[in-house]
Amino acid sequence: MMTALLILHGLFAVALLGAVTHQALAASVPRNERRARSFFSRFRTTDASAYGTPVVVLFVAVMIMGAVLYPRFRLVVRPLLQDLDLRAANGAFELKEHFSALGVLLLPAYWACWKQPLERSYDGARLWLTWIVALTVWWNFIVGQLLVSIRGLAL
Amino acid sequence: MKTHSRLMMFSLTACLAYTLAYYFDWSLFRYYLTSGTIDVAAPATAGPPILWYGWLATAVLAGVTAAIVVPRGFVVRLSPELAWLVPAAALLAALMYEVRWFL
Repeated sequence: MMTALLILHGLFAVALLGAVTHQALAASVPRNERRARSFFSRFRTTDASAYGTPVVVLFVAVMIMGAVLYPRFRLVVRPLLQDLDLRAANGAFELKEHFSALGVLLLPAYWACWKQPLERSYDGARLWLTWIVALTVWWNFIVGQLLVSIRGLAL
Repeated sequence: MKTHSRLMMFSLTACLAYTLAYYFDWSLFRYYLTSGTIDVAAPATAGPPILWYGWLATAVLAGVTAAIVVPRGFVVRLSPELAWLVPAAALLAALMYEVRWFL
């Protein structure tokens, strides 16, 4: 059951990673490049505002699944990291914990920034909040994958 | 606009409160792993607790309170840049707090 949830947690995290990365790149590209024809230009010219609500929903879903898995991590994975003296891996997870919490707590501000019609006074906040969410998602995803590589899927 | 400012206030306060919560250990409750129970106190025989859920609860409570109590006029006067500067500072504080694991 926990292994299935861990796989689902990872799959949702992939979807979240894709959504927030597309949005962050699209929000960063100037409007006058919107007619560009190259693959990367098209990738970056995605309609960023369309990702606001999906990112919030996916983030909360991934977070809830992570919160359910957390006690198993503490009982099964953390003692192994301590036995192997993997301090950096332990610290990386501590940061994942904080980044998840701060990420979910800033979602209301992030969602308000992306709410239509977009307010010009929040252009800077919108861009930076999106990059902050992207940073937390990337960190959490990489650390999660590293820990699965160390311990394996069996929880 | 009214909802907008309340959501902003929630996030600013909650990010700040979460940082203070783990730094000063202001956990609203503790979850005990071995017994699977939630308690506000620290029973001697309960084993190791998880504080993270309690820190999150503290932050959410502080955020909701601020979003309800702080007047909208005050929130509107705040710089929009605070919406990302406060979470960025909170992430940096977490990084500095946990750097001990990497030294």
